[in-house]
Formats: sequence, C-alpha cells, structure tokens
Amino acid sequence: MTTTQADVPPLHHGPAIAAPRRRRLHISRASLRAYAPAVVLLALCLLVTLANPSFIETRNLIRVANAAAVPLTLAMGTTFIILIGSIDLSAEGAVAVAAMVVVLLAKNDLNGMDLGWGAALLAVCAAGLMGLISGLVQTGLRIPSFMATLGTWFIGLGLATYMLGGSAVRLMDPRLRFLALGRFGGLPVAVWVALAAFAVAAVIQTQTRLGRHILALGGGEDLAEYSGISPARVRILAFTLAGLFYGVAGVLAATQLGQSNAVIGDGRLFAAITAVVVGGTALTGGEGGVFNTLIGVLIVTVLSNGMVLLGISPYVQQTVQGLMIIAAVALSLDRLRLKIVK
Amino acid sequence: MTTSDFDFSVRPSRRAILGGIVGGAAALSMPHIARAAGDKPVLVTSIRSLSNPYHAIWKDGAEAFAKSVGAQHVTLVSEGNSEKGIADIRAMLAKTGGKMVLNSDPNDTPDARPIVESCFKAGAYVCTQWNKPNDLHPWDFNPYYASHIEFDGVKSGSAITQALIKAMGSKGGIVAIGGQISNTAAIERKRGLEEVLKAHPDVQLLDFQVANWKATEAYDLTSSLLTRFGDKVGGIWAANDDMGTGALEALRAEGLAGKVPVVGIDGIKAAMDAVKAGEYAATVTSDPYWQGGMGLSIGYHAFMKSFDPTKESKDHREFYGRTTTITKDNVADYIKANVDSKPVYDWNDLWGRCEGQIRAS
Repeated sequence: MTTTQADVPPLHHGPAIAAPRRRRLHISRASLRAYAPAVVLLALCLLVTLANPSFIETRNLIRVANAAAVPLTLAMGTTFIILIGSIDLSAEGAVAVAAMVVVLLAKNDLNGMDLGWGAALLAVCAAGLMGLISGLVQTGLRIPSFMATLGTWFIGLGLATYMLGGSAVRLMDPRLRFLALGRFGGLPVAVWVALAAFAVAAVIQTQTRLGRHILALGGGEDLAEYSGISPARVRILAFTLAGLFYGVAGVLAATQLGQSNAVIGDGRLFAAITAVVVGGTALTGGEGGVFNTLIGVLIVTVLSNGMVLLGISPYVQQTVQGLMIIAAVALSLDRLRLKIVK
Repeated sequence: MTTSDFDFSVRPSRRAILGGIVGGAAALSMPHIARAAGDKPVLVTSIRSLSNPYHAIWKDGAEAFAKSVGAQHVTLVSEGNSEKGIADIRAMLAKTGGKMVLNSDPNDTPDARPIVESCFKAGAYVCTQWNKPNDLHPWDFNPYYASHIEFDGVKSGSAITQALIKAMGSKGGIVAIGGQISNTAAIERKRGLEEVLKAHPDVQLLDFQVANWKATEAYDLTSSLLTRFGDKVGGIWAANDDMGTGALEALRAEGLAGKVPVVGIDGIKAAMDAVKAGEYAATVTSDPYWQGGMGLSIGYHAFMKSFDPTKESKDHREFYGRTTTITKDNVADYIKANVDSKPVYDWNDLWGRCEGQIRAS
C-alpha cells in the first residue's frame, strides 16, 4: 500500500505540487498584463497632473466622471458581447432609438406626450428589444454578429430618423433633465446612474450563471456547448442585456444634451470598443470583463480631458488616440500564445 | 434598379428568398415615376440624408417649389455614400430620359463632376450647392449646368464672431470649437474668426479645438476647456449650431448657461430658441428652405427657357448666396416667419440673393 502510494503519486496532488513553481513564472507575465491598464491610467493621471495641476481639482474630476458616464454605461453592454467573442455594432443605433423614444414620450417640443420617468423606462426597453432582435437574428438565421448588428444599427438609425422627422427634438421634462443637471453628493446624477449600471454589470458578471456562461462561451463555444450550455440562449440574453445598457446610455445622452437627434450616437461605438479593448478585454473573447472596462473608459476619458488641459493641438489628438489603441492591444494580448496573426 | 438585376440561383434557398425580399424592397424604395405632367420636367433633389434637420428643411423647400409650379418632385438620399448618390442620379436620368431638373448637394467635392457630366450628357438641367471642384465651372457645360451656389464661410464666421464679441462687451477670452479639421467650411469659418479677432486686441482666443461638427463631442470638450481656463472663458465660438448647443448644455450643467454667450452657424431650431432665451448670442442661417426651392427653380426656369444660362454673367452662374445672422434683435420675427410657418418666397426671383462670384481659391 505504502509503496504503491510512493510510486504512483495521487492525481489530485500533482497540480498542487507543480503549481507553486509554475505559478510564480506565470504570475509575473500575466499580472503585468492584468494590471497594465490600471498602471497606464495612474501614469496618465500623474503626467497630466504634473503638466497641469488643475486636473486633480475636484471640479475637474467631477467633469471627467460626468464625461465618462455615457461611455461607461454603453461600454458595459459592449463588454459582455466582446466577452463572448462577438462584436456588436448596433450601439449607435440603439442609443439613437432610446434617445428618440425618451424624447418623444417625455415632454418635448414636437408632440403633447408627457410620460416622465415612464418614457425613460420605455426607451430602455426599446433598446433592449433591439438587442433581443440582434440575438434572435444571429441564432435563428445563423448570421454572424457583425452583420446582424450592422443591420440593427441601420434599422435603429433609420427608425430614429423617421420618428424624429429628421430634426433635433428638445427634451423639456425637468425631471429627466435632472439626470444631467441635478447633483447628489456633489456628483451629477448621471454619474450615479452610470455607477449603478456598472454595479449591475459587475454583479451579472461575477454572481450570476449568465455571467459565467458568457465567459465560458468566449473561452470556447464548442466546449461550452458540450458542457450543457445553450450558446443560442446565452447569446440572445447577452445581446438583450447589451441593448438594455445601450438604452440607459441613450437616455443619459438625451438628458445631457437636452435634445435628441438621429446622430446622437455618432462616434460612440468606436469609443466604447476602444474603451473595452484598452481596458484589457480580449477581442477574442473569454478574457477581461467589466472591471477592465471601467479602467478602459477612464483611460479614454482622462486622455481626452488631459489633452485639452495640456493644450495639445487637435491635429495631434487623433494620432495620440490611435497610438493608444495599438499600445493597449499590444500590452493586453498574450502574443506568445497567438499562433496566427491576421 | 429592379429585381431583374438580381441573379437568382436555380434552387430557391433561404438566401435567395431573402435576396428577393431585399431586391423587392430596393425596387419599391426607388421612387415610382408616373409620366411627368405635361411638358414639365421631373424635379429631383439629391441630398445627403434626412437625419439632419438641415436637409429635412431643404426637402420642405424643394416640395414647396414643386407644388408652386405643379411639377413632380423626387428626393434622392445618398446617406453619405458618394457612389450611391451618383448611381441614384444616373438611374433617375435614365428613367426620365433626361427630362429632369436636378438640385444637388454633392456628398463630397469630387462627386460634382460625374453628376454634372451625367446630366450634361442626358440633357438635364442641374444646380449644385456647397461642394464642387474649383476647376469645374457651369459655363463649361452650357447650357445644362445652370448654377452653383455656396455660402461664404469667412463671412459667416466673422459675423458670429462680431456678435460674440459684442455680447462679451468687447473684452475677455474666447474658446473656439471647430468642425472637421480638413473640411472647407470649417477652414473658412475659422478664417472668419481669425480676421475679426485681429481687429479686437482686447479679446484673446484662449484655445481652438475641434469637435467634428457634433454636439456630443462639443459637450465633453467644453467641460474640459472650462477646467483649463476657468473664469477666463468669456464666450464660446462654435463652427456650427450642433456643437454650439452641445457647448451650451455643458455650460448649463455648470450653471453657466446665459452667463457665457455662445455662437454658432446653421440656424437650427434649438439655437434659435437659445438666442431667444438669451443663452446664445447669434447664429447664421443659409436658409436651407430657400436652397431647396431655389436650386430647383433656377434649373426649372432654364429648362422652360424663361432664361438662357449661357447669357447670364459669371456671378449668376457661381455665386455666394445671402445668409441671415440671427441675434436677439431679429430672432422673434425670424421664428415667426420661418419656423412657426413656412416662409413664402418668390421662386421667380432667381438672383435676388446673389452676393457676388465665388472666390477662386
């Protein structure tokens, strides 16, 4: 008995013995990757502060938080989609639809509606419905997410254009404008809404089965399916969830600008994907998450705020943003594991 | 385009059926042309999109003119896609056999040439607005290329700068928010700003940044600029109203709306309301309603031979249209005449708003 044990080490001891040595090597590289975005964010804040101390004035930090509110909410949705290894291009369309619905159903300067908070709720639902459709189209018709969401993007944009009659409609409901103009504990209400969205996303990612299934799908859809997960169900739920986040972002955007037009979402898709990637979530799926995205959104926002504070010429700013994306992807990808680059 | 252009596979797969649906929808979405009434041409408006208020009003003006002469009117939308814009125009030329009048806001500067050449070949009369290459001239395509209309960006840029400086009491700091860096209108409007600033040494330009014509970008930019310059910001200059109203909302979030005057260009409704509320010092409008109607009217009159384009002087063939600067002095009247009701114009007054030949530059 004793000899057998000595000759054949029990299987469950194997990894425990081997782990310390391997992990030590592994941690240094993996943790560098994991913490790179946070280090970049800190370094960025430090650099901007050194160049212009007014950066760390409370007043400015509040402004940075306010500027990050919409991108953060939006990027929460995008994060889940990228985690399953898909891409969602419908963000701008969903934002346009949500902004359109909230403005048309709340007090505005075009029609006589006045649903107040009900308008905001319906707007979020409308965007969620678009996400649901994206998910159903992909799974039902077996169309890649890229094309399916490209479709819903344009459907959303077209719908918003049609319903708004091609013009900017103003939001006159003081209760909804309170989201942007009101403050609570010194922070604009929009920032609290964004933080709440972040909290919800964090709970979904870490505490729910859906969150784990999303990660599993991103890690390997075939494996996940063999383990009894229904990829179609997870996909539909993830896209619906993303739609709901886009809806909240759309409502926030409309209340901030006090108006809604069909192009209210312009440029936000790129910003959201940039933030997700800069935060360290892999475009291949299965790696990263909403905490990374929070850092990513802050990096992008601090950078654009910082470049204005530093008085960097607008001609150079876009170049800096482009460089940042390449640098972030280079830092966050474990390129040793990539066999093929295409 | 018709469904017959689609090559259906023999075996009706789901894809083919979907393709058929798409093709059918495309065919249906192409304007259905009944035989044009009498000897009148079909009036065609080609614009970028209906999702911006500017072009939506443009279309209203075009329809008003079409109604005034009892001609059929069709709107083509390029959705920012140059190839689609040009292809749609060619399809219309084929459909009408050249018996049409086109008023086009080409999606991009180079687009004007193929558009004009196609119309010239088909014998259709055309007016272009805003965008054309400098070496493309109406008189080189007689008589079909009737006119080209632009609005002087330098003049608009300086008009709002003057209004802003006046609202600031002729002293203090301005932050400026420009349009897309390489865009001609953005460059001209900025030049207008710079020219006026030269004459006002007590007013400094604190910074010039760009927000790509967008309200959302201007919103974030403005709050950053407020951090950088704080109370030094005495006024905000924006190259269009979308950015101007975005900046205004950022001011509002800081409780500064109405305290820091804002100016913009385009005359969108939100800007006019802000002028009325005393939060916006001025906006400039090129009057898209007039552009939509007059661009068709010039071509229509050339088609009907009520004037001969070849006999018109160059400053009627390539001209700057008159703009209106809206400040608190005239905003109430302007809203009453142009927003609350449709303006009534004499569409036969073809050259009433000519402000000279376009600069060669």
